[in-house]
Amino acid sequence: MGEIKPVYLEEKLKEIEDSGRLDYRSKTLPTWCPGCGYFSIVEAVAASLCELNIPNENAVMVSGIGCSSRFPFFVNSYGMHTLHGRALPVATGVKTANDALTVVAVGGDGDGFAIGGGHVPHAARRNVDITYLLFDNGIYGLTKGQTSPTSAIGFRTPTSPYENPDRPLNPLLMLLSYGASWVGQAYAGRPDHLHRMITQAMAHRGFSYLHILSPCVTFDKTHRTYGNLGMQVRDLPADHDPTDRLAAMREAMDDALPALGLYFREERPTLADALDGLVEKAGGELPGKVAAKPVRKAARR
Amino acid sequence: MATDIQISIVGSAGDGTIAAGDILKNALAGMGYKIISFDVYPPEIRGFGKCIARMRVTTEQVYSLKHKSDVLISLDDSHAIPHADEVRECGAVIYERASIVQLPEGGHISAHIGPGQLPYPVPVRELAEKSTSANRSRNIVVLGFLAGLLDLPDGAFLKAIAKKFKRKAEAAAASEAAYRIGREFAAQTFKLDDVVFGPPVSTVVAGATVEMISGNAAIVRGALDAGIDTFFGYPITPATSIMERLAAEMPRRGGRLLQTEDEISAISAVIGAGFAGARAATSTSGPGLSLMAEMLGMGVIGEVPAVIFVSQRGGPSTGLPTKTEQSDLHMAVFGGHGDAPRIVIAPTNVDGCYRCAGKAFELAEAYQTPVIVLVDLYLSNRYETVVFPARPPFEADVNRRPGKQAAGTQYKRYTLGGDSISPRALPGEKGGMHVVTGLEHNELGRPSDQGEMHEAMSRKRHEKLKEALKHPDFTICKRFGDEGAVDVGVISWGSNFGESLEAMLKARGEGIRCAAMKVVMLSPFPTERVAAFLADCKEVLVPELNYQGQFANLLQSHVARPVTRLNRVPGEPMKVEDILEEIRRLAGRKAAQKAA
Repeated sequence: MGEIKPVYLEEKLKEIEDSGRLDYRSKTLPTWCPGCGYFSIVEAVAASLCELNIPNENAVMVSGIGCSSRFPFFVNSYGMHTLHGRALPVATGVKTANDALTVVAVGGDGDGFAIGGGHVPHAARRNVDITYLLFDNGIYGLTKGQTSPTSAIGFRTPTSPYENPDRPLNPLLMLLSYGASWVGQAYAGRPDHLHRMITQAMAHRGFSYLHILSPCVTFDKTHRTYGNLGMQVRDLPADHDPTDRLAAMREAMDDALPALGLYFREERPTLADALDGLVEKAGGELPGKVAAKPVRKAARR
Repeated sequence: MATDIQISIVGSAGDGTIAAGDILKNALAGMGYKIISFDVYPPEIRGFGKCIARMRVTTEQVYSLKHKSDVLISLDDSHAIPHADEVRECGAVIYERASIVQLPEGGHISAHIGPGQLPYPVPVRELAEKSTSANRSRNIVVLGFLAGLLDLPDGAFLKAIAKKFKRKAEAAAASEAAYRIGREFAAQTFKLDDVVFGPPVSTVVAGATVEMISGNAAIVRGALDAGIDTFFGYPITPATSIMERLAAEMPRRGGRLLQTEDEISAISAVIGAGFAGARAATSTSGPGLSLMAEMLGMGVIGEVPAVIFVSQRGGPSTGLPTKTEQSDLHMAVFGGHGDAPRIVIAPTNVDGCYRCAGKAFELAEAYQTPVIVLVDLYLSNRYETVVFPARPPFEADVNRRPGKQAAGTQYKRYTLGGDSISPRALPGEKGGMHVVTGLEHNELGRPSDQGEMHEAMSRKRHEKLKEALKHPDFTICKRFGDEGAVDVGVISWGSNFGESLEAMLKARGEGIRCAAMKVVMLSPFPTERVAAFLADCKEVLVPELNYQGQFANLLQSHVARPVTRLNRVPGEPMKVEDILEEIRRLAGRKAAQKAA
């Protein structure tokens, strides 16, 4: 523990304003409950878009349905708020139509691993060059607190009033085996780390999956609370090698004490690369890149 | 002399029936005849299901197959026997002459050939073995025999064989040998005097090209000519060949095609790509369309262009995957929850497949909505000789784009008023940022559940589609036959219109005053023009290939008047004779009433 420095509100606000990241927040105020972990995610995404100097009009936020999926309305960019479970295929369509866009798919645990579970392996194996931010609160918040595919066994909700009989999925382990080329985990209660992870995930060329643990402060008072999560989360071991998929899988299997950080990363051709390869094989000509401008290189101050 | 000859080849799966049909129709089309052909095959790849290759070869324009064939070729008697009586008087039946000792009584087709039909026994197996030391080329031997019998030039056949086995030199050589031995054998037999090919008639306009292609191939050509750049799809009979052809063609033009994990993913990606400004499409059949219904509604409320090619098959559920039906009209026009108006167009022939496929991209862009191009297995797999114009009749970009925003004003994606079509900004465009949502929204695109806003936006989504009825250079419906008041009017849609038109023309030939109307745009419905036609008709007949009378239902929801429904679900095209009989009955019933 280092020395604790005082933080003055005015200084902090000036720092945020100067950073330029407020440009990436829309005028629509989030509809989430006070204390929800998702506030820190939208802040972190804005900060990352800013840090990477992505022009607002080149960013597209794509979501499904759920509390987390309201996300696109809160970011100052293009966006699609689609159907329950369909963020990934829609995002795949957007990116395939225009490579120059920075496409971020966001959604919750129910959206991604219950109704939308069939799409995840395919987006991962194709290495679509998008970032998938999975907000995992282990509950269906928007419909008022039902069981989700990442809810713990024994969890009581209105749809499992005695207890949840199903064991939870292990999304990290799934994504590692599906072939995602960037897999990481963060926690909404550690905003600075979260921001760094999001920046890395967005900068990665290929399908990046960031699992973000977050509490539902309204409907889960017993399991995934700030108190419990704060005690459970740990950092990945300092010597973890993110190019070692097996080591990443071993870490992911310890889901009682979730480790934060970059689990796995590899460079390999993206879906667009593969499709361009087909054009070459067929003897066709690649069309000129359309619409969007290249990412600004100069820092934004 | 006008030529009008129908040839059927019937065999078992694996006999090469369809392949023989392909070679034959390519040869005849190459000689300059007009072709309409439609094959029937079982859902299994091998096994012993029945395969029929059937083609009508003409010099005049015709619209459907005939009830009777002039020549029947049997590659498998057990399947061909039920079709023996489809051969007309003085028509020919070509079949295997080999020993029939193992067959049960009546198992050989020779016992089923009528006294007026001409039998042509050919030692097909023996000749095939002689020519290629294998009996796999039986289908080519009979083609050689047919060519000799009808005195058709070798050149066209050899060219068609070479085309069929383009990448298999060995098979091409074996087939050529089989063809020649069949042809030689024909020299030893009596000629077929009653089936004669007259000289082909050339109707090619300068710059245009004539091609014999299938409905699905025409859809692909229309999509390519309209500049399709992204496609997402999932294989399903009978739409698969659309995706397969695009998979080969699109990369040659720099396009992108992806086989998705399911139909939900396919339509989702199309909506995503459409949002990003692409000309995007998918193709499917009824079961896939059911899965797509929810995302289709998203396209409607989000006002995102998308093109969906749907080739219907027998339903419900998995139904009859390799049989034709027109029972997805309700699904295409009304499918999904909520008030979700969309554009549905249904071509009636192969030429129409080309035009509708290309125009669909224009319609989707101009009216910012999903567009369904509804065909069926019969039309997808039907071959016709089509004249393609020198320049594709499609516009490259009909988007309504926002101009520069005045300073301090926020871009409104969903402006109300005017013709209800709002300027659309695309991702990457400065000043146009907005969120497309499946929620009801205000003009800015922000969620709104206010009753007034929902009323206004619902009206907008319905009103803007009315503009599509006035879309330039596109036939939304068309009348044929007698002008003015008629005794019987036939109104129909999709693949079935060909049979309806033939029946109407025959009825006119019999002195019945009648007319026919095809309706291409099913949604929005061209109520005014249809009502005007119906007002001219004393009796109205609606023939269609579904049990419920889905088009008649649609028609009557727009124009209140009684109609006579003719609904059949045999899994194959309706018989012209059946429609004609109904026209006669309606005309006669009219006469009887007058007398009474």
